[in-house]
Amino acid sequence: MSAAALETFLARLYTDADLRARFDVDPEGEARGAGLSPAESAALAACDRIGLQMAADSFSRKRAQHRRPGLPFYRRIVNRLLRR
Amino acid sequence: MAERRDRVGIGWRAELAAGIFAHLDRVDCIELIADDHFRASRRQLRALRTLAGQVPMMLHGVTAGLASVEPPEERRLARMARLLEAVQPESWSEHLAFVRAGGVEIGHLAAPPRSEAGIDAAARNIRRAATIVGAMPAMENVATLIDPPASTMDEPSWVAGILAASEAPLLLDLHNLYANAVNFGADPAVLLLQLPLDRVRTVHVSGGHWIPEPGGTGRKRLLDDHVHDVPPEVFALLTLLAKQAPQPLDVILERDGAYPTFACLLTQLDALRAALATGRAAAAMRAVA
Repeated sequence: MSAAALETFLARLYTDADLRARFDVDPEGEARGAGLSPAESAALAACDRIGLQMAADSFSRKRAQHRRPGLPFYRRIVNRLLRR
Repeated sequence: MAERRDRVGIGWRAELAAGIFAHLDRVDCIELIADDHFRASRRQLRALRTLAGQVPMMLHGVTAGLASVEPPEERRLARMARLLEAVQPESWSEHLAFVRAGGVEIGHLAAPPRSEAGIDAAARNIRRAATIVGAMPAMENVATLIDPPASTMDEPSWVAGILAASEAPLLLDLHNLYANAVNFGADPAVLLLQLPLDRVRTVHVSGGHWIPEPGGTGRKRLLDDHVHDVPPEVFALLTLLAKQAPQPLDVILERDGAYPTFACLLTQLDALRAALATGRAAAAMRAVA
């Protein structure tokens, strides 16, 4: 049983729509395939799927907010000089 | 030495800076998002240090991910240490959340599985953060739209376990507590009273909005978004907290967008003071009786 593997699988579930789709079909199979124990896989299979989707949507919106268009090269240099 | 009293302040945002400066007589303290200033220039750091000299300041981190079985990235904690050294705030805080695992960045604060193993790891991470940064962070409870899968403990037991093992104070976010309670069928007041209230040092209040569940269930869940006014239920929780926790509290109003006029925010700060005073008065009455 690996708590680290469990957290990693959750992070992937929250960020990977394809994995969530596969998880919807075969939750225990996907969890076991990620190296989780039978107990962890069963616990994940019993999780709140609506909450999972809502949390994933919320995290996706947050990631989109964090993404900002990159500055041109010369602006990055100027900004770096101004910060000194 | 003056007796420490309750303080009511607001989260520092560029959009609110002018209003804060113009009303320092009504803003007792401020809280800065630390991660926004990790790349600040020397001139900007000097300005922040001057600001910290004018109004009590706390720094608030959002990306360390200390409630994880993975150790925190030391470069992030080193940045926090440098910022604290440069700005000299009163204190700093982080979240009881994980934000990445196995190289996957979630992009926001996620509630980890609540377990004994998670308590041990989080406490170890918090102590490590305190060592690197040079001060123990206050740790904040987070809102979640999903009851953390594979949990073996309830939230109050898990929070209390981490605080006891790490000796960290609690930054109690009352809207996060309220959202989790209503989303998962708990009584917010009962949830509050199950927490180790003697460890509360700072309080966050904010607002959110209801979003429909997918799949046509007809139900809604409360999303903590910091862009709506503080709901009456959160004021009531603040009064209950003030009644139950005798130590001085710093209450921070969080607002991240859809900004109302600063006069409106000052009215909310006054309402928070009134809610605190009501709780303090109730505690005094109880002591006399």
